[in-house]
Amino acid sequence: MKQIKNIYAILIIIFISYSCSDNFLEPAPIGTPNGETFYSNDDELELGVINMYDGIQGINSTSSNDNHGIQVEFYVTEMRSDNTQTKSSEGEAAQFENYTIEANNGIVADYYRSFYNVIFRANIVLENLNNATAVNRSRFEGEAKFVRAYAYFNLVRLFGDIPLIDRVIAPADKEIQFTRKSKDEVYTLIESDLNRAIETLTNGSKNRASRAAAQTLLAKVYMTTENKRYLEAQQLCESVMSSGFSLETNFKDIFFNEGNNEVIFSIGYLGDDAQNSQNFSAEWLNAVGRTSGVNYVTPDAKDALDNFGGDRTQFSYRVDQAQPTRFQVVKYIPDGDATLGIDPTSSNPTQAGNDWIVLRYADVLLLHVEAIMGTSNETSVPAALASFQAIRDRAGLPTTVTNITKDDLLLERRVELAFENHRLFDLLRFNKAQETLATFSTNIGASFSATDLLLPIPQREVNLGGGILEQNPGY
Amino acid sequence: MKKINKFTFQKKYLTKILVFIGILIFASCDFEFELPEEGSVEDLTPPSAAFEFNQSAENFKLYNFANLSTSATNFSWNFGDGNTSTDKDGVNEYPGEGSYTVTLTVSDALGVESTISKTIEVIEPEEPDVPDPVLVNADFTKLPKSSGSDCTCSAWINKDLGDQGESSSGNGGSDNVLKFDNNEPDHIYQEFEVTPNADYTIEVVASFKDLTGGSFPSMLEVRALAGSGYVSGYTPMYFTETTAFPQENWGYTSISQVEDVANNLLAETITNPSDDSYITYTYTFNSGANNSVALFIRGIGGPATGGGGGDFGYNSGDEEIRVDSITIRAINL
Repeated sequence: MKQIKNIYAILIIIFISYSCSDNFLEPAPIGTPNGETFYSNDDELELGVINMYDGIQGINSTSSNDNHGIQVEFYVTEMRSDNTQTKSSEGEAAQFENYTIEANNGIVADYYRSFYNVIFRANIVLENLNNATAVNRSRFEGEAKFVRAYAYFNLVRLFGDIPLIDRVIAPADKEIQFTRKSKDEVYTLIESDLNRAIETLTNGSKNRASRAAAQTLLAKVYMTTENKRYLEAQQLCESVMSSGFSLETNFKDIFFNEGNNEVIFSIGYLGDDAQNSQNFSAEWLNAVGRTSGVNYVTPDAKDALDNFGGDRTQFSYRVDQAQPTRFQVVKYIPDGDATLGIDPTSSNPTQAGNDWIVLRYADVLLLHVEAIMGTSNETSVPAALASFQAIRDRAGLPTTVTNITKDDLLLERRVELAFENHRLFDLLRFNKAQETLATFSTNIGASFSATDLLLPIPQREVNLGGGILEQNPGY
Repeated sequence: MKKINKFTFQKKYLTKILVFIGILIFASCDFEFELPEEGSVEDLTPPSAAFEFNQSAENFKLYNFANLSTSATNFSWNFGDGNTSTDKDGVNEYPGEGSYTVTLTVSDALGVESTISKTIEVIEPEEPDVPDPVLVNADFTKLPKSSGSDCTCSAWINKDLGDQGESSSGNGGSDNVLKFDNNEPDHIYQEFEVTPNADYTIEVVASFKDLTGGSFPSMLEVRALAGSGYVSGYTPMYFTETTAFPQENWGYTSISQVEDVANNLLAETITNPSDDSYITYTYTFNSGANNSVALFIRGIGGPATGGGGGDFGYNSGDEEIRVDSITIRAINL
């Protein structure tokens, strides 16, 4: 009897153990998508690709906990240069112009986590590439690698050595999440990603990655890294220059005729659309956005535009009507300007529809000049003069240029690309940042020192890193 | 009883000895200085000196120093030329070229110091002249090849683009010129290294046989081909010996590549001058975004097919053409 009882017990145990299968939850929930099973076909991967651009676009909100993506980029780039400042020098936004940035600055943290989140979104696409059909796989790969390289290029220039995450990681992967890798290693990934994007992408798209966008970015990378590769940069520029882009005749149309032929890569926004609009345009006005006004034009930038801007000046800055001693950026005005013939891009300026232009053809032409100049301090090579002259002619400055110095080029970039978040990176690339910003800072009574050329790693990240993640000097 | 007394004696002294030792231990402690002050902690962040420097582009003697020290509040620069500074970042203009040792000493509020020295070489950057390109067998001497018999065409063969030129004599020598035979697809091809965006002159010394009056007058076509047009994945090798040169699978592997306008830095056609002496033809080209260029010269003017050699879609015309030498020089202003 006892034996029979034992046999029953054993049978029950066997039965129970067989009833368990590999997956704890089976069948998988089919009513809602989940991270484990999504990105299983082309349609879902396409959504994953769009999700990356959505990350760059950022959330249009005033909550400091949201990721605002590129909408806060002007704070960490243009406002740290000699181009712009806050209107009233208040709050943590004023830390940028005063060069008194604290490691706990919320805007720095916003930008940092936004772009690591973009990298995460790109890594998800790359992780699931095998689920794509052969027709679309290489395009998905190219777009994801372009976006990842673009995000890393911004981060490495702003923060220096940074954690390098090239795959989807889990919370337990603390080591990779918080170990800073050398700039060289970051640039190695950026270069290989962009080369792959150039191989796999075609031209035609402006709000998404394209071959020309990857080529332009790589040209800039080659001239930014320690070991400058000017010849390759020139070849990349020339390839873009024979890809059908052109300068808009009227400078204003670059910004207010969206999708024009000068744009190579831009982040798209839709006016009056809570999900897809932007608020940076409103923040640049006088107390229209949440702030009382940021990214106001410095007297220094105004001078440069007045003296060297040509036709570009009127579409670059204007007098703030409410406060006539101060000057606002005209590029990206959300609510129109009848005097300048600019229409509003939305009825609600805090839900503006102005696209953010990341790369445009004028940038390429000036990069072309820079590549030809190379290590020299000036150039009179005809190809360089032609590219430079095209920019000057469009600006209504047709005097024939016969020689271009490095300073001429830097100045031309300043007035052509003012308030488009290029200035700080240009100063760094031209090896002029410390010299220029030290003088600028002295003139305005700010406290610049060389360690301000890198942002602090957000204190929150340092804390989470539990001692692994080291802070930049000076913070 | 004696034992007990002994014990009592010992106990009596033991207490005294212990008290004595206790006092001794006590006295040896220096409480006044060793007791930590309330709230004081160890200096866990001693200063660490670090800096980087860069030379100004306009003034080679001017250097900017970026102070990257951590946990420091006081800075002392010694620029190595007698100049000093206590600013955080340093700027110094050196008296001239030379080697200078820059020392940065930093300290924190506790007086803990850290020092770092770096040596900088102040050198006036030179704009070096663009060097002349190196051509091998540029005067068409009869020399050995990697395979086959000696030829004035050694180092100048690309069998993917045409037939090799032929050894010939002329201009006062023997076996010293290269002949583009009539009604054949003869060519010469060689790659050479250039500086990007530089101007070059090319001189071709050539002689045309007098016009025969036929319907296919020979012409000489001269092309400078961009290295960017080399077949994908090709890296040029610059040989010095004629025997080392390949005879096929160079950077350009087809006539359609050669004829692609985008690949041509120079494309000139020399017509028969009706003078069979050796005449120097001079052209200039700019190297553009290339560090390598290929020179390609061929006889044309004949029918596309049906010539006396291989089928490359072109042939020289009715007259022979001879080339004595080619010279390429950089133009330095």
